Amino acid sequence: MAAAASVKAALQVAEVLESIVSNCVGPEGRQVLCTKPTGEVLLSRDGGRLLEALHLDHPIARMVVACVSSHLKKSGDGAKTFIILLCHLLRGLDAATDKEEDSLISENIQTHGRHWKNCCQWKFISQALLSFQTQVLDYFMHQCLSRHFLSIFSSSTQEKTLCRSSVELLLEAYFCGRVGKNNHKFISQLMCDYLFKCMVYESGIEEVFELVDDCFVELNVSVTGLPVSDSRIIAGLVLHRDFSVYCPADGDIRVVIVTETIQPLFSISGSEFVLNSEAQFQASQFWIMERTKAIMKYLQSQNIKLLLSSVKQPDLVIYYAELNGISVVECLSSEEVSLIQRIIGLSPFVLPQTCSQHEISNTALVKFCKPLILKSKRYVHLGLISTCLFIPHCVVLCGPVQGLVEQHEDALHGAFKMLRQLFKDFDISYMTQANGQNYTSSPLLHKNSRESDLLPEIGNDSMQRSYQGTVVKNENELTTIRTRLIVYSNPEIPGVELETYIPCSISKLTPTDTYETDYTLKCLSQNKTRVIDDRESLIESKFTANSTAENTRIGMSYENVQVTKSVSKGNTLPVSYKSLKSYCSSSIPAGCVLPVGGNFEILLHYYLLNYAKKCQQSEETMVSMLIANALLGIPKILYKSKKGNYSFPQIYIRTLQALQTSQPMVSTQTGLESVAGKYQLLTSVLQCLEKILSIDLVINIKRQPQKVYDQDLEDEL
Amino acid sequence: MSRLEAKKPSVCESKPLTSERVRATLSVLKGIVTSCYGPSGRLKQLHNGAGGHVCTTSQSSALLHSLSVTHPVLKILTASMQNHVSCFSDCGLFVAILCCNLIENVQGIDLAPTTIIELNKLLLSLCTDYLKSEACACRIPVDFSSTQILLCLVQSILTSKPACMLTRKEVDHISALVLRAFLLTIPEKAGDHIILGKSIIVPLKGQRVIDSTVLPGMLIETSEVQLIRMLPIKKSGALKVALFCVSLSGDFSDTGEGTLAVSYGVSLENAVLDQLVNLGRQLVRDHIDLVMCQKVIHPSLKQFLSSHQVIAIDRIGVTLMEPLSKMTGAQPIGSLGSVSPRSYGSVKDLRSAEFGSKRFFHLIPNEVTVSSLLLCNRNDTAWDELKLTCQTALHVLQLTIKEPFVFLGGGCTETHLAAYVRHKTLNEPGSILKHDGCTQTELQLIAEAFCSALESLAGSLEHDGEILTDRKYGHFWSVQSDSPAVVNWPDLLSRCGCGLHSSQEELSWSFLRSTHHPFVPQNCLPCEAANSASDLTVDCFTAKLSGLQVAVETANLILDLAYVIEDTN
Repeated sequence: MAAAASVKAALQVAEVLESIVSNCVGPEGRQVLCTKPTGEVLLSRDGGRLLEALHLDHPIARMVVACVSSHLKKSGDGAKTFIILLCHLLRGLDAATDKEEDSLISENIQTHGRHWKNCCQWKFISQALLSFQTQVLDYFMHQCLSRHFLSIFSSSTQEKTLCRSSVELLLEAYFCGRVGKNNHKFISQLMCDYLFKCMVYESGIEEVFELVDDCFVELNVSVTGLPVSDSRIIAGLVLHRDFSVYCPADGDIRVVIVTETIQPLFSISGSEFVLNSEAQFQASQFWIMERTKAIMKYLQSQNIKLLLSSVKQPDLVIYYAELNGISVVECLSSEEVSLIQRIIGLSPFVLPQTCSQHEISNTALVKFCKPLILKSKRYVHLGLISTCLFIPHCVVLCGPVQGLVEQHEDALHGAFKMLRQLFKDFDISYMTQANGQNYTSSPLLHKNSRESDLLPEIGNDSMQRSYQGTVVKNENELTTIRTRLIVYSNPEIPGVELETYIPCSISKLTPTDTYETDYTLKCLSQNKTRVIDDRESLIESKFTANSTAENTRIGMSYENVQVTKSVSKGNTLPVSYKSLKSYCSSSIPAGCVLPVGGNFEILLHYYLLNYAKKCQQSEETMVSMLIANALLGIPKILYKSKKGNYSFPQIYIRTLQALQTSQPMVSTQTGLESVAGKYQLLTSVLQCLEKILSIDLVINIKRQPQKVYDQDLEDEL
Repeated sequence: MSRLEAKKPSVCESKPLTSERVRATLSVLKGIVTSCYGPSGRLKQLHNGAGGHVCTTSQSSALLHSLSVTHPVLKILTASMQNHVSCFSDCGLFVAILCCNLIENVQGIDLAPTTIIELNKLLLSLCTDYLKSEACACRIPVDFSSTQILLCLVQSILTSKPACMLTRKEVDHISALVLRAFLLTIPEKAGDHIILGKSIIVPLKGQRVIDSTVLPGMLIETSEVQLIRMLPIKKSGALKVALFCVSLSGDFSDTGEGTLAVSYGVSLENAVLDQLVNLGRQLVRDHIDLVMCQKVIHPSLKQFLSSHQVIAIDRIGVTLMEPLSKMTGAQPIGSLGSVSPRSYGSVKDLRSAEFGSKRFFHLIPNEVTVSSLLLCNRNDTAWDELKLTCQTALHVLQLTIKEPFVFLGGGCTETHLAAYVRHKTLNEPGSILKHDGCTQTELQLIAEAFCSALESLAGSLEHDGEILTDRKYGHFWSVQSDSPAVVNWPDLLSRCGCGLHSSQEELSWSFLRSTHHPFVPQNCLPCEAANSASDLTVDCFTAKLSGLQVAVETANLILDLAYVIEDTN
């Protein structure tokens, strides 16, 4: 069975999802109760979890869910906003196509034909979206929005010191969307306390985040049946098991980790032990016993008071441990062992062949080790002395039901993921055009910044000038040359390459030199040479040109190819492209935040609208308008329940006024959110939309799609 | 190869609380738990159609253990109640009823759920702050110099479980036993922190309740034959004990992952047996009088030991190992080879005891921290209920040691608290609201719902009559429903629910369900009053306080639900 995929179908799906999600988004959002087939119940406000729990059937819905989960893997937040934004984008697209269809109706195209035509059109839009996402968006982030960014660090100096109040605001806003309304303040306070207790000083935080994110399961203990307000932070590490032997000891305690049984076994795997007599058997048992005894004695003589074992130790070992006053914790999971190793930098103890009196090197000290009783279950509580920047602390999460505790656990883990993201510089890169005309309207004098940013080499001035000259001429010939070339993965582009290009573009002015141009181009990297090779076909047919261009990661729009009808111009076309493009890489610095409450969306909306007004290409205008309007959908939902002065239109107008008069924006809500996260969300949504638009037919098959195996691999087998 | 099966899409239900189905099931559950509540609660008989065990109970833990609920919302409610019970043993029905009441009472109110939740939370913190404060008039500090209050506490628990089928006299007897059993677990020499011992409940079914008793030390059930074998070895003075956790049955396990090849004619059994007898010799050499083993002792070793006047008890089981090790001071031995003399312990005396048809070894320790409570009841179901109740009582006593307070029982705490909340919300709404964006009218609405939830919780204690409350202390008074319309209340009423106040104190009463004029509930210096009143009904402080929080939190959680997604796979 095959079903035509269309914007309408996708919109229907997205609207259903939106209606579910919009009830849970933002500070006013409510909880969702999910049941598992096993009968467990789970509370969640996590969009990703919610979407997965639905077990959606519809192919497009499944694709959307897959996109959401891949986005979540990257940033850990924003699943609900994802759906809302996607829905608004689709709605906008649908409205736009409806209008066009009305005008086209007179053309009397057959319905089937029209479907295909529509698909081509969507594909076209999808490409426009792609180019928007990869070039224009980054530009906006860097040039327009960046001056509104706030930082989570308390000072702008090189040293990153975390500002507690900003972190509190950030976390509060995060938990607003993640946990129930009656607990979010408490949980965010708990998280903040935990964070600051775990850090040695306010720097080196990345390491702490990384460790907590990786080992979060081991760092929290869940207790059901107690009110949430009983949750607390405990200094030290809590292991999720009881002592096998507990011998109270004071002062610093020396500890070793073992990963094998201390008692020697009769036979190890793969060997055979031959017993010839009873005496031999007794002798070997006696030897085993003596050996175990000797090792434990040796450990005691080295002042070891605690033995952490990743395996179950036999009764004999436990017995001798108790005799020698050594506490034992058995059956530690490999995650727990690796966490302990990370914190105290201790490697497992290797059993010595002979128990000589020499010192064991692999020991560490703990401040205390004692049993901890939580709700009549016993745990091991270790006061590890950290050798890294993480001071071990554990969170005890309480709640009336397991589902709620799990929700809080997930939210805390997600918060660490989010923070980990936030503290990384987020790279953005975009191309600016040498031709500044299109951009002169933009609020910043980006031309200046481009010059300083992009061409730091000495002596570039002349070069710059020369190719600006080219641009003017290009403009005359090619009506609009947008930078359609995406060179994300080619970091070697700036600077040096520009130099090679410049003669090329000059050569364009003198068409007799085409040969030479080709030569210089062939010196370029492999995939670019291919473009040159394909040039003949490129000239012949614009459609093939388009596809080959895509293959080499060079997206080209129709118009551009259309312009190049004559051979001579075609020859130089790729050249002139390259000469015009300048690669700009920048980054959203670590710790960039914006106030919550749709600030990011309104800002971007404002700049996009401005941009769209001055844009010359209709398709570009359309895309930016589309995105600009869709972005407003999020604040609209956030302010849904607010009335009067705090209703959405009021806020919107006030913000726009503030922007137009370049006054500082007034935020009605306290709380901050990560810019990088928001940015990533927007790109993910656009990518998802591109995916949806590029599908024209959904074919239902009975079998699982077969994986296409590599032929070579098959042969080897 | 794994089999792939298409997953069915889940069922998504929006705004679950508005659906008729959920409301109906919720009210059924409420009906069940409410009717069980209190000393005059109705019993429930749980059985399955195919026959088998029948359980008669009114306790939340027993009830919900066998009751399965289908709707996810109810699952949340019952799960939170069960988790509470597993933490505190007590106040399970309290949590469930309060939670149901809170949900039901706000259904008719036309406010956004977030507002309701916010206000519920504020009211809860108002309550907990009050209950924890010194000014609280419904809690009594526990005086450990007398057993008065503790005994009242145990009695209250026993009377509130009618399925135990105890008479007044039996209640007094059992509560004295439970309290004694608990007191025996407190070590005499108390250091910085006390580690309580353990009370072990020993079943003795089919006897009269009055035959129940408590013994210091530990009882280990045994057969008659073993007892007879032991009797001639009677010895005065302390006995030296060896406690084994390793099996002494001569089995040979744990040979490692490789193979073990045994030549023809070599008998490992004999080898191990030799080892066991060697061990026996060592024990005899070390003058051990009593050998106990968690697992099985080989018959020939047993024979050897008994021929040397050593008593051997095997199959102790893992649950008794820890109290045994603590009580005797012996260290569980995990070796068949040489045993260190340091791992031996001792008991003061070993006796045989006979109760009903059962025979026991009775181990009397040097320092008593372990006690055995022999519980008798007429039949199985009543015994099960009594056992659960005694466990609850023991747990509650432990909790009371940690936080030495009790709440007034019999519904008085609830009505008093409701009166307090009403008074506070009406007179000082500003101090409650702070700056949370809720209006005073909204607060009044929700406070009324909250208070009436508390009051109808108290009201569910009385299944036949009417409830009154006095307008001075805000206590709970019940009266028969067929009382004449115009009455002289002081004559008709005798004492309030908790027994602190008598009707002769010149109070004025009003019906609990009638309209209220808020008043300031007064503090009556419960300390002195408590000492004067001998027969109080009191509740566990820790369990009730936490129960209140859990109930409100759970209700908030359920009110906050926007969707229920049911995975039907």
